[in-house]
Amino acid sequence: MLLALLIAAQLPRVAVERRLAAELTLRVGDTVALAATAESRETRAVVGAVFEPPPDPAAVLRREYRVRLHLSDLAQLLGTPDRVDRFGVTLRPGVSPDTAARRLNALAFGFRAYPSTAIAAESSRTFLVVSRFHRAIAVISIVASAVFLLCIMLLKVEERRADAAVMRFVGVRRRTIFGALLLEAALVALAGSVLGTGIALGAGALTNLYYQRLFETRLVFSLITPSIVAFSVALSLALGLVAGALAAARLTRTRPMVLWGRG
Amino acid sequence: MSVAVAAEVTRDYSMSGGVVHALRGVSLAIEPGEYVAIAGPSGSGKSTLLQLLGGIDLPTSGHVEILGTRLDSLGDRALTRLRLLRLGFIFQRFHLLPVLTALENVELPMAEAGVPRDERRERARSLLDYVGLLDRAAHRPVQLSGGEMQRVAIARALANRPALILADEPTGELDAATGAGILALFRRLTADGSTLVVVTHDERLAAEAGRVVHMLDGRVRG
Repeated sequence: MLLALLIAAQLPRVAVERRLAAELTLRVGDTVALAATAESRETRAVVGAVFEPPPDPAAVLRREYRVRLHLSDLAQLLGTPDRVDRFGVTLRPGVSPDTAARRLNALAFGFRAYPSTAIAAESSRTFLVVSRFHRAIAVISIVASAVFLLCIMLLKVEERRADAAVMRFVGVRRRTIFGALLLEAALVALAGSVLGTGIALGAGALTNLYYQRLFETRLVFSLITPSIVAFSVALSLALGLVAGALAAARLTRTRPMVLWGRG
Repeated sequence: MSVAVAAEVTRDYSMSGGVVHALRGVSLAIEPGEYVAIAGPSGSGKSTLLQLLGGIDLPTSGHVEILGTRLDSLGDRALTRLRLLRLGFIFQRFHLLPVLTALENVELPMAEAGVPRDERRERARSLLDYVGLLDRAAHRPVQLSGGEMQRVAIARALANRPALILADEPTGELDAATGAGILALFRRLTADGSTLVVVTHDERLAAEAGRVVHMLDGRVRG
């Protein structure tokens, strides 16, 4: 027993990602065998900690698990003790990452330094493409809904030809009718945008719930910010007002007798 | 001065099959306090004459005057204003605005004329009381019967104290009993000094009139 404890104390310590620990039912103090590849020699190690990695959108779909080792233990495991592929440099507060990267690139032979923002941008290219795709879908949806909205407004206004004619007959000005229709269009657009925001928030919450469970992550997959809501409401109001104005103008420009079905 | 004058008015409509002569030189004067019924078969030009008297259509030739003002001398705005302040319209199918209550429908012409809110509300209530519908003031048209809707339409027509009330088949959509109620209301309007021109097929309504203008083929026959 004592011997076993002594041997364990000499083994390298590793930190295992929570998801891997959960899948393999590992606990702190357990002994594991590590290898660089399936064919390479195993190295025994003791689980010293279980950690929760920061959510990473680039890694979530790859289903990769992480094990952290001290640098020397890692070098020994890989069999290349004098080789380092990449490492991070923490800068003092206030130091410009771009300036530091430029100076390092000027001084260090065989290395290339990048600011973390450049690496993030490089690794986010996939997301940029996805984001552009989403934007294209949004533009198509907006154009289609604008056309739909205009058609609906024109149809609704057509239904009111007789009402508009009567209003004109009893002395109601074109301006009043135009204003009333515009106000109605704005209210409908506002109500629609409130309803749409509610549906979006609900759908977003369900999406997050589903994918966070599926990938066991705290990543937020659907994010509806106040600026998105404000933009959507403003766009909806603008489209509603344009559609309402076009439909109302068409109605008020028509002679009352024509609206009445005569003339 | 006559409330309304039609002088040798004609009205032609261009149709796909040619020109239809709806009115062929009609002259008519309506005096203050008169109750005039315009009668005649369908297509005789009754409604067209009413539309010309109401300034909602213009004659092809001849002219119409309301209180001495020739309607063909007015622009669209002035004509709209004249209809608002000097004329009251009653339609066969009532044509109340469905989103407004009975009270709001009566208030509408006054609101358009710029009558202060409290004043127009009070007058709308008194008009609904006049037509016997004060208890239905908060009801929307769908909650009213045909006769009730027509009485609200009459109250709306009276809103701006018009010099002339024009009614196009006001009992055309109503059963006999309900029509009799409208008839009684018209009798009361006449007694109160209103000037009334009614286009009708209803013999009872025509019989109540002080003068009946018979029309046939776009001409006055008597």
